[in-house]
Amino acid sequence: MSREEAAERAAIAVRPQSFQQGNSKGREKVFELKGVEVRYSGVAAVKDISLDVHRNDVTALIGPSGCGKSTLLRCLNRMNDLIPGAEVHGQLLYHGEDLYGRTVDPVQVRKLIGMVFQKPNPFPKSIYDNVAFGPRILGEADDLDSTVEQALRGAALWDEVKDRLDANAFGLSGGQQQRLCIARCIAVRPDTILMDEPCSALDPISTGKIEDLMIDLKEEFSIVIVTHNMQQAARVSDRTAFLMVELDADENNRWGRLVEYDQTEKIFTNPESKRTEDYVSGKVG
Amino acid sequence: MVEQTRIHYQEELGQLEASALGGLDLVSSALGRTMEAVEHQDVELAEQVIADDDRIDGRYLEVHQGLIALLATQSPVATDLRLISALLHVLKNVERMGDQCVNVCKLIPLTGNEPPADEEMVTKILSMGKQTRTLIGQAKRGFEERNVEMARDLVRLDDVVDDLNRECFHLALQIGDDADRREWAMTMLLAARAIERIGDNAVDIGEQVAFVITGLFREFEDASHPQ
Repeated sequence: MSREEAAERAAIAVRPQSFQQGNSKGREKVFELKGVEVRYSGVAAVKDISLDVHRNDVTALIGPSGCGKSTLLRCLNRMNDLIPGAEVHGQLLYHGEDLYGRTVDPVQVRKLIGMVFQKPNPFPKSIYDNVAFGPRILGEADDLDSTVEQALRGAALWDEVKDRLDANAFGLSGGQQQRLCIARCIAVRPDTILMDEPCSALDPISTGKIEDLMIDLKEEFSIVIVTHNMQQAARVSDRTAFLMVELDADENNRWGRLVEYDQTEKIFTNPESKRTEDYVSGKVG
Repeated sequence: MVEQTRIHYQEELGQLEASALGGLDLVSSALGRTMEAVEHQDVELAEQVIADDDRIDGRYLEVHQGLIALLATQSPVATDLRLISALLHVLKNVERMGDQCVNVCKLIPLTGNEPPADEEMVTKILSMGKQTRTLIGQAKRGFEERNVEMARDLVRLDDVVDDLNRECFHLALQIGDDADRREWAMTMLLAARAIERIGDNAVDIGEQVAFVITGLFREFEDASHPQ
């Protein structure tokens, strides 16, 4: 072994374990994005996004307002289909299948890939009916009590609501409502959960509970989260994608571009790109 | 179109860095006066160096507190986080270097008013002190300028100090049978050892320079597995 090799090995030996697991070869991919571009009425909102999302990871999308991170998130379960004039180009594979293939049913996609929004949005129904809503629609009414209980337990809400399942969901606190939305999402047994700034309307205690929950949930699900809170991305995610706004020469058009995608620990301790560094350090707005 | 933000935080971090590295100036001055006390057997000057070590300790406490406050309130990441981590190490090294000067100064009264000094050994110890002050200055500059090459070059400068330390050891072995001279030589070996450790602390600071720049910590020289 040369002296350089020995030095390199010694350097690797002192790196934290998680740094050494950077090689994601062989890990199952939930999403594979290659050159994805999203346009609204012909105008690009994000361009040339290529990244892989791995199973049982929490993957964070960060970047300034308008960089297209929510647009990108919404592509992942075809929520943009509901917006007139929205088009998705490039390749977007879900477990190796084209998510935008002709034979793919968007409703089935949204069952497998659930979504939790910024503002808790429970239905004006009882706690029980909120969670039972999805399984009932899908005709999975067998043993509904058990499904509801499992989903509420999975969302770390069961102990707080088990004695008032018939109470209106609007009577819950904001943090509880958000966990109810997570329970409603996992009640239909998805494999991936998309979260669009799920804690931005919550206090630090409720935020802490949702973050703990994310770490528990990733044992079973894959999670993609959009967040404006750098520390939240640092605390909960395994990998982080940083997007930023690109302007054309005459500054008439702007679109989101992926700048860096790496392990979260790398992004927050030693990012490759100066632009990532400046953004995560809060040095540029 | 890119707007600079968190200016106060950046200024505060810059001031803390300047304060921490300013600790190296305090140490260099303490070491210079320590060498003067050794050269002239100046017990009063030695006592002054010992008393002045409170300034170095005070600097340690003040900057340490400032860095902890930044960690708690500003959530530093990336280069800022590495810088703060490195500065905490630098501070510890500065504090240890100050203590080593104190250790040497405490030895000076033990050797008596007119010790049976070996001139060659005194000369070597003074050379060690001079070379170590060069190391301290270069460690500071390397940090300020974020210069890995300058930091790595500290190993070469430190080798000179280590060689002089070994030469002192050999001189002590050859000092002869006179009990007073032997006692003096043993005491001066402790002084040489303390100065040699200050050199090592300067190299440690160099390693922190490399960490700030590259994000990888590696010892420039592995004492337990020398090549």
